[in-house]
Amino acid sequence: MKINLVSLLLITALTAGVNAQQSPGKDHAKLSISCKTCHTCDVPKKDEPCLVQCPREKIVTIYQKPEQTPELIIMDQILDRYGPVYFSHKLHAQMSVMSGGCENCHHHNTSGPILQCNSCHELSRKREDVSLPDLKGAYHRQCMDCHREWSHKTGCNSCHELKKDFKDTKQDDIHKKYLGKDHPVILEPSHISYETNSDKGKLVTFYHDDHTKKFGLACAGCHKQETCAKCHDVNKKFNGKVKSANINRTFEEQHKNCISCHKDDKCSSCHSETKLEPFDHTINARWALGKYHERLSCAKCHGSKLPYKKIDNACLSCHKDWNKENFKHSVTGLILDETHLELGCEDCHSNNNYALKPNCSGCHDNYVYPKQKPGKLVNK
Amino acid sequence: MSGKSRRDFLKKTAIIGAGVTGLSASPAKAAPKNILSADRMGVLVDTTVCVGCRNCEWACKDAHDLPAGELFSYEDRKPMEFRRRPDHTALTVVNEYSRGKNSNLPVDVKVQCMHCDQPACVSACIVGAFSKQENGAVIWDTDMCIGCRYCLAACPFQIPAFEYDKALDPLIMKCDFCFDRTKNGKLPACVAICPVEALTYGPRSELIKVARNRIKRNPDRYVDHILGEHEVGGTSWLYLSSKEFKELEFPDLGNNPAPGVSESIQHGIFAYFVPPVSLYALLGGIMWIAKRRKELKEEEHV
Repeated sequence: MKINLVSLLLITALTAGVNAQQSPGKDHAKLSISCKTCHTCDVPKKDEPCLVQCPREKIVTIYQKPEQTPELIIMDQILDRYGPVYFSHKLHAQMSVMSGGCENCHHHNTSGPILQCNSCHELSRKREDVSLPDLKGAYHRQCMDCHREWSHKTGCNSCHELKKDFKDTKQDDIHKKYLGKDHPVILEPSHISYETNSDKGKLVTFYHDDHTKKFGLACAGCHKQETCAKCHDVNKKFNGKVKSANINRTFEEQHKNCISCHKDDKCSSCHSETKLEPFDHTINARWALGKYHERLSCAKCHGSKLPYKKIDNACLSCHKDWNKENFKHSVTGLILDETHLELGCEDCHSNNNYALKPNCSGCHDNYVYPKQKPGKLVNK
Repeated sequence: MSGKSRRDFLKKTAIIGAGVTGLSASPAKAAPKNILSADRMGVLVDTTVCVGCRNCEWACKDAHDLPAGELFSYEDRKPMEFRRRPDHTALTVVNEYSRGKNSNLPVDVKVQCMHCDQPACVSACIVGAFSKQENGAVIWDTDMCIGCRYCLAACPFQIPAFEYDKALDPLIMKCDFCFDRTKNGKLPACVAICPVEALTYGPRSELIKVARNRIKRNPDRYVDHILGEHEVGGTSWLYLSSKEFKELEFPDLGNNPAPGVSESIQHGIFAYFVPPVSLYALLGGIMWIAKRRKELKEEEHV
């Protein structure tokens, strides 16, 4: 706990030291963004930077992993009716991975240090320049849109405690409440069926599990701008059986997430009149994985780049170092007996095609694999 | 009883009227204060920012010594299920509208006096109790008000309310732009409390620039229209919206100042005093004919 507190103080001290007037970094001129986004004059100088007031452009270059960010930020600059607000920064950063990322809140940050909100947003509501919201407005705008979207409430007490009810002795409890917590595991649907108006097949069954657990796709790959309510809505019933596809979207918008990988696929690989089965390597790739390959990640054989590269079913396309001398038949789950150990590969595997059943008829009459085996089966 | 008091009132008015015409050196003093200052203030209401917390409703009542209750009681969403109008118990209310099928978020719209640049209430008030102040506020003098409720009928936004439930001394009630607060350098109560600063207080000319800039930067977020910039000749309160304003039940009023309509009718009727004079002439004529007929009949009998 002590360490946490110390690190928290350190972070607060560091961020407090960061000043809005600091340069946005040495190399910011090299960014692929027009100078006019931030500067009003043609030749900005160090003492006359002629800056535009807070450009709302995506030029944040300090991306931090949520785990590296401060856990708790205490907002106590505006204390009128209410006491300070304890903001679980890390937790929110974890959620923001799927909805807009850091710049969702740090919207005006240039390529320099992380700016504090009050570098642009003034503390006083009665002010000369009213083009930007004041600090109170800016804070609440960040929080309220999400919080009321899923809670359908606008009450103050979900974040605030009245000043008169606030006691300093509670500090320890507060730290206990916010420090060392991660976002709970996100509930994912195993599959969702979408009812579409396509004439290629009304039903699209999307196996979410296949994509995340089997294929190992990152959540943020598809979920870039999710609203909080997608997971959090208090009114939501996650029965997830059959959903109507949003028919207001264009064909391109509708297929945007899928097409990046499935661009060579036929309509019928997703669209059908009946519910489709989940991905099965034996059926869809026409090659049974077997016990050994089942344990591997897709990327191990197909490369980490999406969409996964098609590979042929010859063992040697992956096991490049296998040859007649070092190959142990036992890895296939069958130890050859002494007689068969002597034979060449092609004697049983005609044309070196190992995907097909071995052929016994070269030596034996009426022998058929796997009824008759050239050795002993083992557990791999 | 009522006849007597009415007679008293008329007598009093006649005496005061005679006094004013007789004594007052400057006739301009009798005209209501109706200043249109270039520096007048305004409020920009961004309905895309408003979260409908109703804190402004509480702050307004609190600032105007109306029964307000506890602030937390305004978290109740029940009143949002109905359409409400400002009345004598609440000078501002927030109404909620659906944003459309694709959004979980509603559109919240605060309603109060718009503080017109050419206020119809000022023009309609027969005793000159209403006035447009230099800072943009349209206020009224309770002591001068005789309760005729012409302001209620004249207002294009149907804002002024009347304490119908009071038998004695009922008052006209409406948003006064927190004139007593702004006079002392404070913000209007609703602006001060708004957690999201959906209400921006500033010089009206500046607010129009701010609003234009918001539309320019976020063309998808806003309809390209600042309500109040030109409506009924312009208002101190301005609105931005993501939906067409008629969907948020703003009346479609056009850009002509509201007093123009009522004043032209009134002035037309009373121009050069022709209609009253002709009316009296007509009545006089009828009376003369009637009298003449009677005289003729009497002559016949004799």
